[in-house]
Amino acid sequence: MEKIEVKICAGTACFVMGAPQIQALEFSAPEDIADRIEIVEVRCMNHCNKGSGYNKGPFVEVNGELIEEATMEKVVAKIRELIAKEDEENC
Amino acid sequence: MNSSLFIEISSYQEHKYTESCFGDAVLSKKLPEEQRIISVLSDGLGSGVKANILSSMTTRMAMKFIESDLDLVRSAGIMMQALPICQIRKISYATFSIVDAILDGKTRIYEMDNPQCIIVRDAKQLNVSHHEITADNWKDRIINVYQFVAQEEDRIIIMSDGVTQAGLGNPKYPLGWQREGVWTFIENQVRRKPHISASALAEAIVHEALTKEPEEKAGDDISCTVIYFRKPRKLLLLSGPPFDEEKDKEVAELLDYYDGKTAICGGTTANIIERELCLKCEIDKTTFDPNIPMASVMPGIDLVTEGILTLTDVYRMLKEGIDEDKDNAAVRLTRLLLDSDKIDFVIGTKINEAHQDPNLPMELDIRRNIVKKIFRLLQSKFLKEISVKYV
Repeated sequence: MEKIEVKICAGTACFVMGAPQIQALEFSAPEDIADRIEIVEVRCMNHCNKGSGYNKGPFVEVNGELIEEATMEKVVAKIRELIAKEDEENC
Repeated sequence: MNSSLFIEISSYQEHKYTESCFGDAVLSKKLPEEQRIISVLSDGLGSGVKANILSSMTTRMAMKFIESDLDLVRSAGIMMQALPICQIRKISYATFSIVDAILDGKTRIYEMDNPQCIIVRDAKQLNVSHHEITADNWKDRIINVYQFVAQEEDRIIIMSDGVTQAGLGNPKYPLGWQREGVWTFIENQVRRKPHISASALAEAIVHEALTKEPEEKAGDDISCTVIYFRKPRKLLLLSGPPFDEEKDKEVAELLDYYDGKTAICGGTTANIIERELCLKCEIDKTTFDPNIPMASVMPGIDLVTEGILTLTDVYRMLKEGIDEDKDNAAVRLTRLLLDSDKIDFVIGTKINEAHQDPNLPMELDIRRNIVKKIFRLLQSKFLKEISVKYV
C-alpha cells in the first residue's frame, strides 16, 4: 500500500506560524496512522506568496491536497479521511 | 606585504575562586588599515574588583599608547603614575604583556613582570633575545622588549602568573606548574594537533593550569592569550535572493568558484542555487529543533539553513554564548562563523513579501539589519575580517 505523503513547509513564515508542532508527527504520530504516512519536510512551497491576503500558513500538503492554517488536528483529520477512503476502495 | 597571512588572537581566563570578577584583563584589537594587531594582558595587584580596575586601566592605556605609536618608556611612566595607589600596599601596580604584530612580519613584545612569553616555531621554543628598558621614575621596574619576524604557523603565548604558579599549595607542585611545565604542555599540544586554533590552545592551557590547583580551584586569576599566525580560513555566506533575478546566476557562480567554505542561509536562496547549479538539496532531520528550522544538505556546500530566524538566533549566541548542548542549524552556523577568519557575506536584498504580514512575529526583521548586527559583532568581539556585498 502506498503511503500518504505529508509535505510540511519548513519555510520561515510557516515555521513561525506553527509548522514545528506539525513536524512532531514525525516522532509522535497517532498509532492508527503512523505506519500509513510519510512525512516530508520541504522548503517554502511558495503558497505564502500567492494571493495578496494575509498569511494563511502554516501550509501542509496531504497527498497533494493543500491545508491552509494547518494544525496537528486538521492534518491528522485529513490523513484519517484519506485512509478511510483508501480502505473503502480496497474493500 | 604578506597579506595571505592571518593572525588569530584568542584569550581564556579563570578568576580566583573566591572572587566574582577577573583581576587580570585582556584586550585585543585589529587595525585593518595598518594590517596590525595589538594584544594586551595585564595582571592587577591583588584580586577581585580592585585588581580588575588596575588591570583594565592598564590594558586600555597600553592599547591607546601602542596604537598611537607613543614612546614606550614615556607610556610606561604615564601608566604607572595614572594607576590608583593601593591603600594597604601603598603602591600602584599592574603588570603587562603587549604584543604588537604587523602583518609584514615585524612583531614586538613588551613585557613587565608577567611570566616570560613563549614563542613557538616548528613545535619548538623560539629563543628571541631581548633588551631591557626602564622608565625614568621607576628604575626598579624593567620592561623586556623582544623583536622578531613572525612566520606562518608561529604562535606567541602570553600569560599571567596564575598560569605559571598554578599548583602552589598542592604538595605535588611545591613551586607551582612553572614556565617549563607550561612549555611541556604546549609542546605536547602542538605536536599532537599541529593546527590547534588559538582559542582551543588558550582554553587548554588554562584548563590544564586549573588541574594543578588544590581541589582544582583557581587560587589566583589565570589568564592566557594565544596569537597564531596562519593561513586564513575563509567562509562565503550567501543569504537572500538578489534584488534583480538576472543576478541569480552570477551569485551561484560566486559560490561555485569560492576558495573556502560556503554556507547558504535562506530557503529561497537555497532554491536559487539548487536551480542554477543543478544540485539536489535535502532537509537534514538530524538538526530538528522546535525553535529553529532544520538545516539542509547540498553537495559541495558546507551548510544550508533557513534565513532570518536562524540568523537571529546566531546573533543571540554570538552575544550570549553558544548553546553547547544543541546541534541545530543555528548552532552549526555559529560554529562555522567562529571557526572562520575571513568571512565574505553576499546578501541579497530582495524583500520577502510573505514576511511583511503584520500577523507574523516581530523577529522577522529585514535581513540587512540582522546581518549588519552579526558582522559588526564578528568584527568587534571576535576580530574577524569581514566583507559585505549587497546584491
